[in-house]
Amino acid sequence: MESITPTHYLVLSLILFSIGFFGVLLRRNLLLVLMSLELMLNGINLALVNFSRTALNLDGSIFVFFIMTVAAAEVAVGLALLVALYKKRKSVFTDDMNLIAN
Amino acid sequence: MIQVALSLLFLPFISAAVTLCFLRKHGNIAALLSVATAGGILAFSSFLIFGGEEGSIFTWSTTWFALSDMHLEFGFLVDSPAKTLLFVVSFIGLLIHIFSLGYMADDEAKSRYFGGLSIFMFSMIGITLADNLIMIFVFWELVGFSSYLLIAHYFKTDDAAKASRKAFIVNRVGDFGFLLGIIFTYWIFGTVNLQELEAASLDPTLTSTLLCLLLACGFIGKSAQFPLHVWLPDAMAGPTPVSALIHAATMVAAGVFLLIRIDFLFTAEALKLVGLLGAVMGLYAGFCALTQRDIKKVLAYSTLSQLGYMAAAFGLGLPGIALFHLMTHAFFKALMFLGSGSVIHACHHEQDIFAYGGLLKKMPITAYTFLVGVLAISGVHFLSGYFSKDAILLGAYNLDFVIFLILYVGAILTSVYMFRLYFLTFCGEARSKSSSAAHESTIFMTAPLLVLGFLSVVGGFVALYPIQIVEFLLPDIERVANMPNHLWMNILGLFAWVGGLSIAWKIYGNITSTEDPLSEKSPTLFNLSRSKLFFDEIYSFYIQRIQDPFFRFLEIMELLFISGLMVRGSAGVAALFALLGKSFYSGKIHSYSFWFVIGTIGFLTYSILFGANS
Amino acid sequence: MVCSKHPVSAAMFMIISLVGVAALFVLLEAFFLAVLQILVYAGAVMVLFLFIIMLLDVGPDAGKASKMKLVSGLAAAFSISLLIVIFLIIVQDSGWLPEGASWRAVPESSKLTQGGNFVFSTAVKNFGYGLMTKYMLPLQISGFLLLAAMVGVIVLSKKDEKEVG
Repeated sequence: MESITPTHYLVLSLILFSIGFFGVLLRRNLLLVLMSLELMLNGINLALVNFSRTALNLDGSIFVFFIMTVAAAEVAVGLALLVALYKKRKSVFTDDMNLIAN
Repeated sequence: MIQVALSLLFLPFISAAVTLCFLRKHGNIAALLSVATAGGILAFSSFLIFGGEEGSIFTWSTTWFALSDMHLEFGFLVDSPAKTLLFVVSFIGLLIHIFSLGYMADDEAKSRYFGGLSIFMFSMIGITLADNLIMIFVFWELVGFSSYLLIAHYFKTDDAAKASRKAFIVNRVGDFGFLLGIIFTYWIFGTVNLQELEAASLDPTLTSTLLCLLLACGFIGKSAQFPLHVWLPDAMAGPTPVSALIHAATMVAAGVFLLIRIDFLFTAEALKLVGLLGAVMGLYAGFCALTQRDIKKVLAYSTLSQLGYMAAAFGLGLPGIALFHLMTHAFFKALMFLGSGSVIHACHHEQDIFAYGGLLKKMPITAYTFLVGVLAISGVHFLSGYFSKDAILLGAYNLDFVIFLILYVGAILTSVYMFRLYFLTFCGEARSKSSSAAHESTIFMTAPLLVLGFLSVVGGFVALYPIQIVEFLLPDIERVANMPNHLWMNILGLFAWVGGLSIAWKIYGNITSTEDPLSEKSPTLFNLSRSKLFFDEIYSFYIQRIQDPFFRFLEIMELLFISGLMVRGSAGVAALFALLGKSFYSGKIHSYSFWFVIGTIGFLTYSILFGANS
Repeated sequence: MVCSKHPVSAAMFMIISLVGVAALFVLLEAFFLAVLQILVYAGAVMVLFLFIIMLLDVGPDAGKASKMKLVSGLAAAFSISLLIVIFLIIVQDSGWLPEGASWRAVPESSKLTQGGNFVFSTAVKNFGYGLMTKYMLPLQISGFLLLAAMVGVIVLSKKDEKEVG
């Protein structure tokens, strides 16, 4: 079997990203949507680290650091919002979030 | 001079405006204002007529508005025919205003009536003074409007409302041709100013019969010639002074005046056609007048007939004679209309002549002046009508025999129906209660009758007039005077009126019943005359069967295509777009995130594929 | 994770996957980041998720199908097509990715920078050096960001005044 090339890592990152994308679009539970969002970010992190290692450039890794920071902050705020929404709507399912009742 | 002309034109307009704004409820003041205005008009027009030297032409113009290189002018052209008509209009206008004071004394809507008279005077003077075709057209329409206003004075009755509408619409049809003619004139000559047209028309290739006929459509509509004559008899539903002023003396004469104004444009064929048309009208109207029962309708048909005479005179190439006949006709026709007004007023608005009778004793002044009018129109020698009418007959005899024949028969018929009218109205015994209770009218009504009677007697002696008034008439009168066959014509004329008198006396001399004796003596003639050759029926058939369904079809098309397809359709297309936009607002987070991602990917794709530095 | 019914099991799967990503970081010789991943992501973020799941007592997905079938279908198609594209890339080895690229060895020199970029190194010291020099501004801003996030969370989670009174 051939050795692992950066291409493989890239492909893996793409798979992770698309799985997360799939989850964001199709899940009805808002928590799972947020978790899928995190998965997408992780895929990107993986790709960035891969590029950083390939080009022997530390900038990539430092950028990953910031992405993680931002992701953590975003999750915190997002979950707080989710809790506030739950208090209003008594549910976390997107079906019940529809104010425009068609 | 210019101030005089402007004041002359706008004085009645101001009077009408004042009546409209302030004097709605004060009929008497409006009446006096209107009469004073008529007096002022006479004064100003005398100034205009006698102000310049003999033979002078006063012109003035200003640009009304300009559209790139086409200028619409507002201007005056006071030359000899204008002076003549101005004299007729202002003098007879004043007399009729005075008559209206008496006739409309017990009317409820006096201010409306007098306001309408003022507007009419304004429009008529506008036509007289105008110096270009477009200004004539504007005032033409205004005259039509005043006629509409005044015919519908008794608008509560069905007859009056329908008649005024009919008058306006038929007039409009004629005006449409007139407008086409004006446009055509502008296209060919590049100008509508009368003096410039006269100069340009020296080149005979520019004008054409079509142009003349189109312009003559205005005359046909306004002066109620064939085939647009159907409105004039119905217009008698208006008050009698209105009929006298508008539909006898002045407005219908405006058509003839127009013809005289554009005389230089006419080709020989157009002249011949107009002459023939006029002559046929003269005969036809006389024929219809034989069996009318309404006194005013008889006079209306008589007007139609005499207008035909004027057109025939014009068609023979004698515009001066046409204007002369216009003048004398104005005198005796206004006289007879006012006389009939006096009779109608005295008999409490009874208008059937078979209900009259014996009024000679009860209303002597009216009767004798009316007799003068009847004699004048029949062409009794040395009265005014004799001079003008026989001039036409003489001219026709020498220039175009066919026209002469038609006109001569018409002259006999004129005499017959006029004397019929006179005998039935004034002679014999009273045939109904209203006529037996009649008495002579007030001074307001009889004074104008006397003045007009005097004029009808002496009006034919052209030499008696101040030269400024009759300038235009003199050349043609000279021409006719130098024609042969004077004696023969005199004999024929004598035969015409004596013959008519005797026929009328024989049939209508001693009538006691209210039935028309002609209906028993010769029913076919009676019915044919009564039918007026079915013109009204033809027109109503056309309107009901052909025009109305067509318009209903157009209405459906409009409903379908314009309202339906274009208006609702475009609204529908906009609504479709709105629906499309609305579908984005589902309220579901999924769809929102979906579209968000799609948008982002779209941008990315665009930037990768089409970006400047991919 | 994306296909599981119960959110708790989804969270568990997520943790495993995040740990896997950390392992991949180790393989890529980004040790610091691997540790950071475990600490922050798998340790803090996922715990927070679990915390909220427990708090809100979210049940399993009731299995009702998504009402918006069209959007679901389109989204599924889109993501599947993304996967297919990836598969095609792997199989056909298209020229979008550099051919046969492989890693070069990490240089052992102590050079911190080379031509404006930082040299890749496994030492955390270099990492910190980069953070404090070139990326000082983003560092400070992310500090502010964390502050804002904290304040925001506190505000959002406050009880309403009416409920207290």
